[in-house]
Amino acid sequence: MKDSVKTSKDYKEYLEEALNDQFLRKTLDKFAVDYRVSREAVFSEIDGRDLIKKVADAKDNACRHMEELYAKFKEEAEKRGVIVHRAKDAKEANEIIASIAKKHEAKKILKSKSMTAEETHLNHKLIEEGCEVTETDLGEWLIQLRHEGPSHMVMPAIHLSRYQVADDLGKVTGEKYDPEDIQRLVKVARVELRGKFIEGEIGISGANFCIAENGTFGIATNEGNGRMVTTLPKVHIALAGLDKLIPDFETALTALTVLPRNATGQRITANVTFINGAGEYAIGEDNRKELHVVFLDNGRSEIAKDPLFSQVFRCVRCGACANVCPVFRMVGGHKMGHIYIGAIGLILTYFFHGKDKAAILAQNCIGCEACKDICAGGIDLPRLITEIRNKTAKEVGQPMQVAFVGKIMQNRKLFHRLLKFARFSQKPFKTQEGFVRHLPDALFGKHQFKSLPTLADKAFREIYAEHAYTLENPKMRVALFAGCAQDFIFPEHLVAFMKLMKAHNVQVDFPEEQTCCGLPVQMLALKEVAADIARQNVKAIDASKYDYIVTLCASCASHLSHNYKNFIGDECREFSSKVKDFSSFMNDVVKLDMSLFNKSAEKVTVHIPCHQARSLGVMEQPRNLIGQVAEYTPSKEEASCCGFGGTYSAKFPEVSKELLGNKIRRIEESQAERIVTDCPGCTMQIRGGLHKKGSKVRVTHIAELLADNLKK
Amino acid sequence: MSSAQTQANLVDLYKEKAAATACQIAEFSSFEEAIPHLLSLMEKKAPCELLYEEDVEKGPKGPNGCPTRVQKVVAAPQLGEYYEPLKKAFEEKGYKVVDSGLRHYLAGIDMGIALAEKGIAQSGSCMVNTNNEDTRLATMICEFSVLVLKKSQIMPTVLSMADVLRSEMSASPANYITFISGPSRTADIERVGAVGVHGPLEMHIVLLEG
Repeated sequence: MKDSVKTSKDYKEYLEEALNDQFLRKTLDKFAVDYRVSREAVFSEIDGRDLIKKVADAKDNACRHMEELYAKFKEEAEKRGVIVHRAKDAKEANEIIASIAKKHEAKKILKSKSMTAEETHLNHKLIEEGCEVTETDLGEWLIQLRHEGPSHMVMPAIHLSRYQVADDLGKVTGEKYDPEDIQRLVKVARVELRGKFIEGEIGISGANFCIAENGTFGIATNEGNGRMVTTLPKVHIALAGLDKLIPDFETALTALTVLPRNATGQRITANVTFINGAGEYAIGEDNRKELHVVFLDNGRSEIAKDPLFSQVFRCVRCGACANVCPVFRMVGGHKMGHIYIGAIGLILTYFFHGKDKAAILAQNCIGCEACKDICAGGIDLPRLITEIRNKTAKEVGQPMQVAFVGKIMQNRKLFHRLLKFARFSQKPFKTQEGFVRHLPDALFGKHQFKSLPTLADKAFREIYAEHAYTLENPKMRVALFAGCAQDFIFPEHLVAFMKLMKAHNVQVDFPEEQTCCGLPVQMLALKEVAADIARQNVKAIDASKYDYIVTLCASCASHLSHNYKNFIGDECREFSSKVKDFSSFMNDVVKLDMSLFNKSAEKVTVHIPCHQARSLGVMEQPRNLIGQVAEYTPSKEEASCCGFGGTYSAKFPEVSKELLGNKIRRIEESQAERIVTDCPGCTMQIRGGLHKKGSKVRVTHIAELLADNLKK
Repeated sequence: MSSAQTQANLVDLYKEKAAATACQIAEFSSFEEAIPHLLSLMEKKAPCELLYEEDVEKGPKGPNGCPTRVQKVVAAPQLGEYYEPLKKAFEEKGYKVVDSGLRHYLAGIDMGIALAEKGIAQSGSCMVNTNNEDTRLATMICEFSVLVLKKSQIMPTVLSMADVLRSEMSASPANYITFISGPSRTADIERVGAVGVHGPLEMHIVLLEG
């Protein structure tokens, strides 16, 4: 993120710039799809989950022993003639490196890729000192030529087109290049940089691992520039965060098995270099290299003590959290971090580059959990982003309205009264199909990419009595958790559920004291309110009386089952353990009694909500249910985000619009007549988008599809 | 499964994965038998482009606008018993053969030959001990990199290399070990794959019995 972005308003304008960049959009769109394919191919050869767990455990362990590992590394490295430095912050690290350059009167500095050097803005410092710094990784060199920062941790120049590159290289050499001939463009770097390598006086690299047991550090590169930088100049300085310290080779090689696969879908990078000791330097007076390792703290030793945030050190900088992020796909890396990019970038910005920047950036997470699902270190990125929001809300502050929302949400009766009042006041604006019409453009302009639904005439809680039943001998008893959106906007989802359960001899109760699940207030960084709401629900639904607590909203299901413990600990243990989303409850627990159903010829596709796919790991159940009562028609990217994201679509309508556009394109390509999903928010978003386009495709809950096909 | 069979499976897996990193693999029963193959590679390849000034006879400009070598150069440091027959065969064809002093050839050489101590089947990699600066340079500044690997030295996985790496990295006071998997590559321009951005344009594996 550029420094001139100071407020949320600046940030939104800054986002628009990316959303209007057609090249960027096309590139990132293609990348998002290709990445998944290549990653899957190389992960099929290993036990990915197991390895990720091992990386997480090993890095957690390393983090707990950071100081011991540092001491051991230092001792071992010094034995081998290496000079080890420790910098407390970015400024000190830069000064140490600048002073080494000064001592050697070195002006020509070579760099291989280092995110840590980006973190400290090392180049600025060296240039200030009169040095010429050459980035030798092609992507880094290309952005250096343009005075830009990286837009991806692994592919720093992914935002540049071949045309821009051909122009920029032309300026360097004075020649004209054919932008279509990318192979030739790459060779311009080969030719131009060889001389730089030969003349370089100091080489600076990063390090992927610092292995304490014998003071070895490892560098993974594809281009071979890392080996040139560490070999050709007499002096080599490796800059590494303290978090790169690990105990042994086993840990390094485990991480190395996962890192390239997750980063670029490669089994391994073309070169992996392991160095310890000041080795041979053929043309030096003493025939020895001068080797320095600079460890950067910059807050790391403090973060290491934090019970929650210490897990950021599991990060191996593979960049995968950006690769799968639906927001990154729309806006690119310059808008998704300051130096560190993607989900991890939103978090690290807080620690390394300032709370003000983090307060703005951390808002731009849609909460889809795709990053958590892909992370090579198993970091709970969405949770940490939520916590960063909580922190910045406290430290930087948030708008008055947010606190006001919190007060309302904390009081169920007041909240529900307000909803009923809203229902009354929206009457004049309601269309026959249940959408709001004629919203003033000045207020709602950016939200008009979809039709917005109105509240139902009667909430589920007002018509529950009409649908309630008591079974003589039910096969199980469940409590229905309605969630606000289904209770007040889509009661028909819940009515369909009641019909299905009655037909399958399942007793359903609807405990009326239940309120909002609390996810929206969590998104708004109202931690205390979220905890209060969690307690209200646990009290409202006596879990001991039921076999399951079922909800037809995947986001509620995920929040109730996974997040409550973060707010209220053990109080929710039984409650959370009994929560089920509709699809897995219907498919795995109840199981469709096919004597009750007709199979229709309707072509039906599915949208699998983020929280269902990632947080709950439910993918096949919805497809299976559809296939039993209709013609299941697959569509591409069924589990990619629709752009709703609860309060996200209200905060960032521009991004939400683009995500929805993607989803609609996929639905149209599938030629399905109906799309079903397991979430009222997604229903609202997709239905609103299709209605706005005048599409005839129906959007319903899966429960409605099943109920529609019950034999009369 | 017998251990010979297990090793044969590892060799097959290695070949498959190395090919996926754009390595070209040829199998021989001995290094002597591989020499004609290497000579033919050398003969067919275009002369090396000089990417930096070097006081040497220069030929017409190459594809990237740099002058080319008139006498092709092959570097083969630390090749042990393989060096003499190689040197003899290459010199007979008029090529220059060196095994040290590679800092004088940083503008680029045609072929660099090095011994790989281990192979890794899972990733198609070679482990090369590059403590010796000339060996390191030979694998970096050449247009064609040749690595000689014995089939018996192929290990199953990256993780299975831990003990080997530990002992390699403790052998001398200073150590520099490289896992090499294919030619130098990049996808930094529009994610289009390209080889030869800094290091070798081509990677050839000579796979030997035993």
